[in-house]
Amino acid sequence: MDEGPGLVSILRQGDNLIASIHTALDDSEMVRFQRNLIEQIGRDRARGVIIDVAALDVLDSFGARTLRTLAEMARLRGAETVIVGIQPDVAFSMVALGLGTGTVHTALDLEEGLAYLGGTHSLPAPDGTEPHFRP
Amino acid sequence: MFTANTARVIGRSVPVMEGAELDGARPDSDAAPDVASLLPMLRRIVFSRVGNEAAAEDLVQETLVKVLAAANRIEPGMLEPYAITTARHVIASMWRSQDTQRRNQHRVVGMDHVDAPDERLLKEEERAAVSAALEHLSEREQQTLLAHEVSGQDMRSLATELNTTAGAVAAQLNRTRARMRVEYLLALHDAEPPTDRCRPVLYAISGGDRRRQREVDAARHVLECELCAKLSEPLLERRPEGENEITIRIQHDADVVRARKSARELATRLDFSRTDLTLIATAVSEIARNIVRFAAKGQVYIELVDQPRPGIRIVARDSGPGIPDIDQALADGYSTYNGLGLGLPGARRLMDEFTLTSEINVGTTVTMTKWRTEG
Repeated sequence: MDEGPGLVSILRQGDNLIASIHTALDDSEMVRFQRNLIEQIGRDRARGVIIDVAALDVLDSFGARTLRTLAEMARLRGAETVIVGIQPDVAFSMVALGLGTGTVHTALDLEEGLAYLGGTHSLPAPDGTEPHFRP
Repeated sequence: MFTANTARVIGRSVPVMEGAELDGARPDSDAAPDVASLLPMLRRIVFSRVGNEAAAEDLVQETLVKVLAAANRIEPGMLEPYAITTARHVIASMWRSQDTQRRNQHRVVGMDHVDAPDERLLKEEERAAVSAALEHLSEREQQTLLAHEVSGQDMRSLATELNTTAGAVAAQLNRTRARMRVEYLLALHDAEPPTDRCRPVLYAISGGDRRRQREVDAARHVLECELCAKLSEPLLERRPEGENEITIRIQHDADVVRARKSARELATRLDFSRTDLTLIATAVSEIARNIVRFAAKGQVYIELVDQPRPGIRIVARDSGPGIPDIDQALADGYSTYNGLGLGLPGARRLMDEFTLTSEINVGTTVTMTKWRTEG
């Protein structure tokens, strides 16, 4: 992958992708991460995506916007996104900055995130068809 | 060893060698093509043992010549094994001779220092630059400087001579040295400052005088003037930055991350709360990104201040297009790129003090401060 070793890891677990950001990313790395993750959603036919941002000490306007668009793109690709691990100080500064994650679901940590996705996935589709829209 | 030239000659002449006048070789029509067909195999063998491509090619050619010379003595069908063995021997003897050379190397080292060809030229240039720089000083300055630096006269006796105090002499010497450094650099680069502002700015930077630098707005000038940017680098290198300040050049995405990390590190020394550290880092991130987005080039200067209270001050300067409507730029949700429009207004909310000055086609300066809350 072209994003260097160890900046981000994207693991697959069942129907879900777990993307962990390990270190501060600059803007172009963030955009590259966004692209890779969207591609991998298609490749792995993922239904849920968890983005773990616990290692980020700053989520500024660009970072928040990128995560928001990422979640929206994932939704269009048929996967639901949960952002987990926003640090308390980061949350504080996001509110002070006037930022939110919009309609993107958030959870305290990985476990909660998985629980949330597990809950939404286990809902059986009414007539056995795909519950998600796939382009 | 063979030169590349020989290599080419052999490589090309082998296939058409019928009747060639190679010493000792029979005018045998099929011996020659056989030898040529050995080439790829020999290359493979030699290249796998010798990393250096040029050396390996030399060895292949040497092997070929040996095989060719012996071609008429070799039984038919034995050419290939013969060539392989020859190649091995050739490689081995190269290694052996390299070993010998290495062993004997220290014995052939000359102990006399030989001047590099460019050394004298460089010395010459340096001498010219120094004397050109000296000429820019007044006679009194020249005498004082030379008396102190060259003749080794101490400050006190200089002071009595000049009828002043030792402190005044030291200060004067400092100023003279600062100017001397600038003039030396100008002479060395064979450059004349393009504007009237260059000299005062460079003197202020060279002298490391903070107040004077602010007076002449040195930081902004350095951003605008290419010559001063180049010359100020060695001047700044001389004086390591203080513990409580840092300047980060902003040009690429990665610099934004660097700037906010440095701000956090510096702020940590003042015992800011964790939350405040994050607020500061976020604000620096926003304004540094603005530089990358709109101005392409600029710098972020971060310093710890203690007047009137302990705090951290960040000055972001760029030499970009400037902001036409500052009120609009500071309004929430206004964005010229596809952002959220929270960059500048957001940074303002995160910090305690925030001023923005901008001049069209000159650049923008954002100064923001966060005070440490007591207790």
